[in-house]
Amino acid sequence: MNKKVLVVDDEETIRKFVKIQLGKEGYEVKEAADGEQAMVLLKKIRFDVLICDIMMPNKNGWEVLKEVRLNPETSEIPVIVLTAKNEDDDMFKGYELGATYYITKPFTKSQLLLGLNTIFDRKKNSRY
Amino acid sequence: MEDQNKKRIISLRWTAIIVTSYLIIFGKGKIVHIDLGHLFILAYILSNLLLIFVPPKWFSNLKFFYSLVLMDTGIVSFGMFLSEKVTTDFYIVFFFILILASMSRNYKLLMVISGVTASFYGILLYSWGLFNSEQGVSYAIRIPFIFIMSAFYGYIVQTFSKEKQKQLAISEDKYRGLFENANDGIIILRNSPWQIADVNREVERVTGYKKEELLQKDALDLIAPSHKQEALSFFERVIKGGEGRTDALSLVRKDGESSEVDLSIKRIDLGDESFFQVIFRDLSDQRKLEKKIRESKRNLEAIFDSIREQLSIRAPDYQIQRVNRAVVEKFNTTFKELIGRKCYEAYYQRDLPCEKCPVTVTLETKKPASAVQKNPTIDRTLHIFSYPILDEKGNLLSVIEYSRDVTEEQRLQEQLIQSEKLAGIGILASGVAHEINNPLSGIIGMTEASLEEEDISTIKSYLTDILNCGKRIGEIVKGLRSYCRVAKEEEQNLIDMNDVLEESLKMVRLALKTGSVEVVKKSQPIDKVAANLGEIQQVFTNLITNAFQAMDGKRGILTLSTRPLRDSVEVKVSDNGMGIPQKHLSQIFDPFFTTKKTGEGTGLGLNIVYRIVTKYGGTIDVESKEGSGTTFTLRFPTRRNEA
Repeated sequence: MNKKVLVVDDEETIRKFVKIQLGKEGYEVKEAADGEQAMVLLKKIRFDVLICDIMMPNKNGWEVLKEVRLNPETSEIPVIVLTAKNEDDDMFKGYELGATYYITKPFTKSQLLLGLNTIFDRKKNSRY
Repeated sequence: MEDQNKKRIISLRWTAIIVTSYLIIFGKGKIVHIDLGHLFILAYILSNLLLIFVPPKWFSNLKFFYSLVLMDTGIVSFGMFLSEKVTTDFYIVFFFILILASMSRNYKLLMVISGVTASFYGILLYSWGLFNSEQGVSYAIRIPFIFIMSAFYGYIVQTFSKEKQKQLAISEDKYRGLFENANDGIIILRNSPWQIADVNREVERVTGYKKEELLQKDALDLIAPSHKQEALSFFERVIKGGEGRTDALSLVRKDGESSEVDLSIKRIDLGDESFFQVIFRDLSDQRKLEKKIRESKRNLEAIFDSIREQLSIRAPDYQIQRVNRAVVEKFNTTFKELIGRKCYEAYYQRDLPCEKCPVTVTLETKKPASAVQKNPTIDRTLHIFSYPILDEKGNLLSVIEYSRDVTEEQRLQEQLIQSEKLAGIGILASGVAHEINNPLSGIIGMTEASLEEEDISTIKSYLTDILNCGKRIGEIVKGLRSYCRVAKEEEQNLIDMNDVLEESLKMVRLALKTGSVEVVKKSQPIDKVAANLGEIQQVFTNLITNAFQAMDGKRGILTLSTRPLRDSVEVKVSDNGMGIPQKHLSQIFDPFFTTKKTGEGTGLGLNIVYRIVTKYGGTIDVESKEGSGTTFTLRFPTRRNEA
């Protein structure tokens, strides 16, 4: 079964290329343009990973992350924080709030895949 | 007194008339014209009746009096002639009496002499046997006639000599009073050697000598030894010219002290003797007063000069009347160079008063005014205050100008504005980084996707995305450049607030995520305002940024409105965000006041906004309610008459 990925970003091009590249890798990609849309989708579908931008209108990435972690149904979902904020403080804040992985913009396909692979390898390893 | 004189003269004349008439009527001589005799008596009586109606005052008038006496003498002589019996001897006796009377000072003696004369004459007439003749009565009448006439003339002379003496005494008293009570010292000097003939009380007071002592002295004894030489040459000049005045001499007092005097001398010639009248005024009191005035003047000047800020007093025609030392030092000039010149010539090398000069405002309104002006001569910025000096009627006498060098202050302020701007750029930069990183991620991602793609039409669609992302980055960079464009410090242009507001909004939108905020623009056409574009932009970006931050990325409405007022334009920036707590409202314009976290705000934003707005003579007001939003209202004055 293909892994389900939710990409949340207000930048359409980013969502588009993530979908193209992850599609090629066998992921099933859903898109959300802001935090609220993301929350709606998260309630409907059980995602395997969440890729989330921080600076977004109508509920930013931090709020999405908080809610995801607070909800027992979604608290285990790995979250890759995708952000243009590359200051260390922001990164710490991301991890504190429960981010699984942190990618700063601009990023390449390989950086994205590295992130996903790291998450799933860790998950695989933790099983054993 | 005058009344009494009149009564006596008239009654004496009655007696004279009766006697003369008797002489004429009872002379029983061969009167040639008996009618003429009667006519004469009638005229004589009439003249005396007329005198009754003459005002008593006239009897004190010497001219009237002497003509009356002269007339009476003529009349009586004529009466004697008319009696026909009059012989040479009677005339002699009559004139003898007249002479006696006119010389007499002593009335009683006169009466005795005339009595003796009359008796002697009577004896003479008797010895000649004239009493026993036919005209005996006519002769006998001569005796009382002589007596009455001498009484008449004697009285007149007596009265008038008394009158004269009295008048003399009165005028003597008058002048003595003036002399003694004069506030000036008066000395009468006999001609050289300068012996003192008379002095008044003031001389006694000033010199400390008694009058008796002074009368023993020579005028030169009163002159201070150091001034003797001068005094001698001064007296010499006076002898030649007849008068002179000097304030170079001082008198020496009895106690050895000397008093400065202002002295004048005039020669008075009385017959072949001449006197000198010296009038002097003691200047020591006056000098003391002058000294006091000078001291207090010097004190005031010292205070004026020791104020380190520049003070200057202007006449209503801009003439510099007075400046303090600070002005002279500041302009590196002298008092002489400045005083009497027009301020705009002296300070600004102009032919006309400066525009925006607070002194002009004060001259026109009689009210205080102030302005910040740059002085090119000394390359300093001055904050000039002008205050009116009014007299008790409210007329403007002059204007006092106080100016403070604010060059350093202004430089610091400029620096503050600049550093706040830099901080703003920092915040903007991180916003812009985010803004650029998004399309850049798109470009990188889509490029990678294109490289892996074989289908040309798919590649083309990817390239379109890349192109759009590139264009967006271009837009962002363009906007950033216009924000960072540092306008020349002093450059002022006529700017349209609507345009600047629009541009500032764009700028802020780059830096902040503002997607969910609705922006409402209510702009009306407004007059342009002379200002520095960069600074106005700084004001608006600050306010708009605050507005967006107050709404914190949530749905909200930012309202930007402009409207023209009578002499100004109004710009309103309002949000419906969290509002400002009441307790902070009074502090928001203070420097370094911030509620943001460290690193997020400088605390200078609104302070800079305030400084910039007030710099252009504008005002800024804030209305805020916690939870429902904030409105900043700015008003900038427009100057229509300036190009």
